[in-house]
Amino acid sequence: MSAAAGQLSELGHTRVQSARAGAQQSRWSHMLYVAPFLFLYVTLLVYPLFAGFWLSLHKADFFGGSRFVGLENFVRLSNDKVFIGAVGNTFYFILLTVPALAIIGLGLALALNRTTRTAAFLRGVFFSSSVLSVTIVTLLWKVVFAPDGGFLANLFEAFGKQPVAFLSDADLALPAIAITTIWWCIGLPMMLFLAALQQVPRELYEAAALDNAGRWKTLWNVTLPSIRRTFALVVIIEVVLQFQLFGQAYLMTQGGPNNASRPLVLFIFEVGFTRWDVGYAVAAGQILFGLIAIAAMAQYFVARRKEAF
Amino acid sequence: MRRLLATLLGCVVLASCGVRQAPNEIVVQRFFGTCKAEYGNRTDVGNAEGECGIMTTLINEFSAQNPDVKVRVSPVAWPGYNQLAAQLASGDPPDLVTMHLSAISDYQSRKLLEPLGNELRAVGVDPNGFTAASLASVSKQGEIYGLPIDNWAPLWHINMNYFRQAGLVKDGKPILPRSPAELLAHARQFKQATGKPYLVQALANERAAYSRNLYTLLMQQGFDFFADPQRVKLQSPEVKQVLEMFRQIYVEDLTTKNQDYAAATNGFINGAGGVYLVGTWMIGDFDAESRKADRPLSNGYSVMPWPQLYGRDATFIDGHAWVMPAKERTPQQRDAIFRFLKFFADNDFEWSRTGHLPAYQAVIESERFNALPHRSQIAKISSTGAPLPSAVQRQFPVQDIIGEEMAAAITGHKSVDAALADAEHRVNDLLFHLL
Amino acid sequence: MAAQLASGAVGRRLGDRVILAATIALAIVMVLPMLWAVGLSLKSNAELLVDTNSVLKAPWTLRNYYDILIGSGVFRWLLNSIIVSVGMSLGVLALSSLAGYGFARLEFPGRNVIFVLVLFGLAIPEQAVILVRHQLFSDLDLHNTYAGLMLPGMSAPFGVFLMTQYFKAIPTEVDEAAMLDNASRFKIFWRVLLPMTLPAQATLGIFTFLHAWNDYWWPLVSGTNEQMYTLTVGIASTQMNFAESAGLGYLMAQAVFAGLPILIVYMFFQKYIVRAVSGAAT
Repeated sequence: MSAAAGQLSELGHTRVQSARAGAQQSRWSHMLYVAPFLFLYVTLLVYPLFAGFWLSLHKADFFGGSRFVGLENFVRLSNDKVFIGAVGNTFYFILLTVPALAIIGLGLALALNRTTRTAAFLRGVFFSSSVLSVTIVTLLWKVVFAPDGGFLANLFEAFGKQPVAFLSDADLALPAIAITTIWWCIGLPMMLFLAALQQVPRELYEAAALDNAGRWKTLWNVTLPSIRRTFALVVIIEVVLQFQLFGQAYLMTQGGPNNASRPLVLFIFEVGFTRWDVGYAVAAGQILFGLIAIAAMAQYFVARRKEAF
Repeated sequence: MRRLLATLLGCVVLASCGVRQAPNEIVVQRFFGTCKAEYGNRTDVGNAEGECGIMTTLINEFSAQNPDVKVRVSPVAWPGYNQLAAQLASGDPPDLVTMHLSAISDYQSRKLLEPLGNELRAVGVDPNGFTAASLASVSKQGEIYGLPIDNWAPLWHINMNYFRQAGLVKDGKPILPRSPAELLAHARQFKQATGKPYLVQALANERAAYSRNLYTLLMQQGFDFFADPQRVKLQSPEVKQVLEMFRQIYVEDLTTKNQDYAAATNGFINGAGGVYLVGTWMIGDFDAESRKADRPLSNGYSVMPWPQLYGRDATFIDGHAWVMPAKERTPQQRDAIFRFLKFFADNDFEWSRTGHLPAYQAVIESERFNALPHRSQIAKISSTGAPLPSAVQRQFPVQDIIGEEMAAAITGHKSVDAALADAEHRVNDLLFHLL
Repeated sequence: MAAQLASGAVGRRLGDRVILAATIALAIVMVLPMLWAVGLSLKSNAELLVDTNSVLKAPWTLRNYYDILIGSGVFRWLLNSIIVSVGMSLGVLALSSLAGYGFARLEFPGRNVIFVLVLFGLAIPEQAVILVRHQLFSDLDLHNTYAGLMLPGMSAPFGVFLMTQYFKAIPTEVDEAAMLDNASRFKIFWRVLLPMTLPAQATLGIFTFLHAWNDYWWPLVSGTNEQMYTLTVGIASTQMNFAESAGLGYLMAQAVFAGLPILIVYMFFQKYIVRAVSGAAT
């Protein structure tokens, strides 16, 4: 749930200025405040990233064996149908989930942006699934999707229809995982939009009301433009989050059928821990890093260009 | 300020504590499921049913007999090898682990397992008493690297009530096909008579079962797909016709579809079809089911080895063993470990009540084993069954890849030829790039 | 004119009703999987084996819950999850507040460069470094310890970024006033500024807690000892078993049992959580 790279868009506004120029001397001792974090940051994030570059040039396993192979792992990746499929699945999954999360989240926020008790209760309902852990979420949805005695299967049968086997159909497996994910993650975007809606100046609505603008017109002309930045933020957060799809696929389909639901992260996990091909897995990890970095940067620039207007 | 420091200190102390092993404590990591609710602290091994029940009661019984030893059982999700790899990498593996015979050489070749031979002999377990197949599988470079507890094979579990209805019973025995064509004919006849699919298969979210059936049918054809242990050969007519047979069965709805392992098992118990393709481990459970009244399997359960569709009598087998990952241990722990192994060697009969074939020749020949239901039909597997060549590495990932591609072909996600080409390429890529 | 306004209001109210009805319908869809799971958990495993539709009919039983009480690792897993999540949250709050204050208020050599380098870390996904990190923790003997489960989360730069922004939003006059009282820098940080950042602390704390609570891959490969399983890993270890032993009702009871405490905590603190999450968007 780290909303991490999300706030990258704000990077543009962030220039560390001296708190009060001249009033303070630059001292090494001041570094003590940032040192504890920097220590962990360097040892647990920066070092592994760079060590990973080096390791990805090796054939290696967990048990000390290692041999330099140059770029072989990357050449292999470029020819690996399963890997390429996994990258494709990851993008497809983002396409399935992110727009839905943003739009449904916005819709819910609009509908529930009021002070009644019912609205408060419903907000609670929609956020509640976010606090469940992935294992529980997948367990619940497996018994919803199961073609034998699953919730949907029973429903289908009650209407005299043949149950659909969502998780063992190559076309439906990833969408089924996407539905599970949307159900699980819808709380966060809704909350972010709610917060943004409460920031919209009341005067704008009052002016719209004076103009006798209808519901849709107000939405289109007042509300949406005011929360543009939040919309971008939500999209960025969700793209980064959904890029990292792992648990749902691992627990619901193991990437099948026919590799149709294997995301990139599951590929890395399997190659590393099942096949012990650590160098190869780390090379795939570098690709993941590259893709996320590109996505984050692209969005940063897009967000920045919008700011210019 | 002081409070802050105290809190931080508390956090550090708490954080650094992990689990420390007592000097007389051994950690036993196993699959076979959890069934604490039903078997909890029970030690009545003789009344336990199924893999989980018998395993749990056996370990409970060992603990009861050896109060000076503390056994900590850690059940893992099947097959548990991801976790084991992580544990070995972190240098903190358990003391004993259940491992498939086919997986031992991966770990042994990286020097991750300890040889057991001398100490086993010292506690009175003679490896020469293992069955030939078991002995071969745990022997590496002249040493013994595991205590085998069983051999298993994919089998035909049969609902005799349906078979009778379909006219496929003669003299109380099921009539089994002798060729792929006959199998299809039987399946159609069965479906017509009973309205049920002939086969029950776990086809969803499952990989191992496909490969095991394929290995069996290739062995029956005498086709040596691992003639070179570093290169699999799958693009050949022998393999193709097996896949096409399964594909045809699927197309004609002669099998249950879209069931995962749990659903297929429940399905067979609930009368979903005629033959459940699954391993030895279900015999105990299904036999118990057949003794219940008014159930689809009531008085109508039989089990057979894979029928010989190509003349040659062969079955793919594998098995389970206890292995001891290499790490430093106290003399007390080593002593406890070998007492534990001795206990399992002595109680292999109880374990064979699951349906598995015993790993000890003496148990196979014993009267009480042969008096168990259905065992006479499958006992021959201990001589006709064969594992993959032990020089083949990474047999579990290989099995997964082949199973995945077979599933894709059988359920029609890609053509048989494409699936075989992909499977062959992926397996060979994996094996070629081994360190 | 007046009539027109009135009809507009009626239309608006009708529209409100439709929207409310649709939202309620969606909320029902939302809770159905949970209700289905609760239903399954209240049935005997034997009955479910025959037909899951029996959920709708008596007899129901608490047997599965009783079975969990007498013998399941779920308590231990729950405890581990709480320790790890709370520990990681406290750690992140402490580190991020200190670093945030440092970056926002103090001068030291190379500060701006370091801050930008930290921001780059926002783009490093955990999975890209997890294998090397695993080897590193092996060398440091940190696997199967609480520290091993908490530390990776504390290295993520998001919290530092958030807190730096927050400290910078506090007017410097506040520090200056305190400075006149001759307070030390740490005292200003601890007594004056930190209390003003409580809303941000809450936001960050809740995000971190949820992240830790839901994390799967790292605990799966680091807390491999059954006594160190977190809830996610523990529940997964029973649900993926090849053997059929546990039974559907039991699995569901375990899921309900594991999900309920955090749902209850959530309901208690809902108001604050909502406020905190909202804080992140502003």
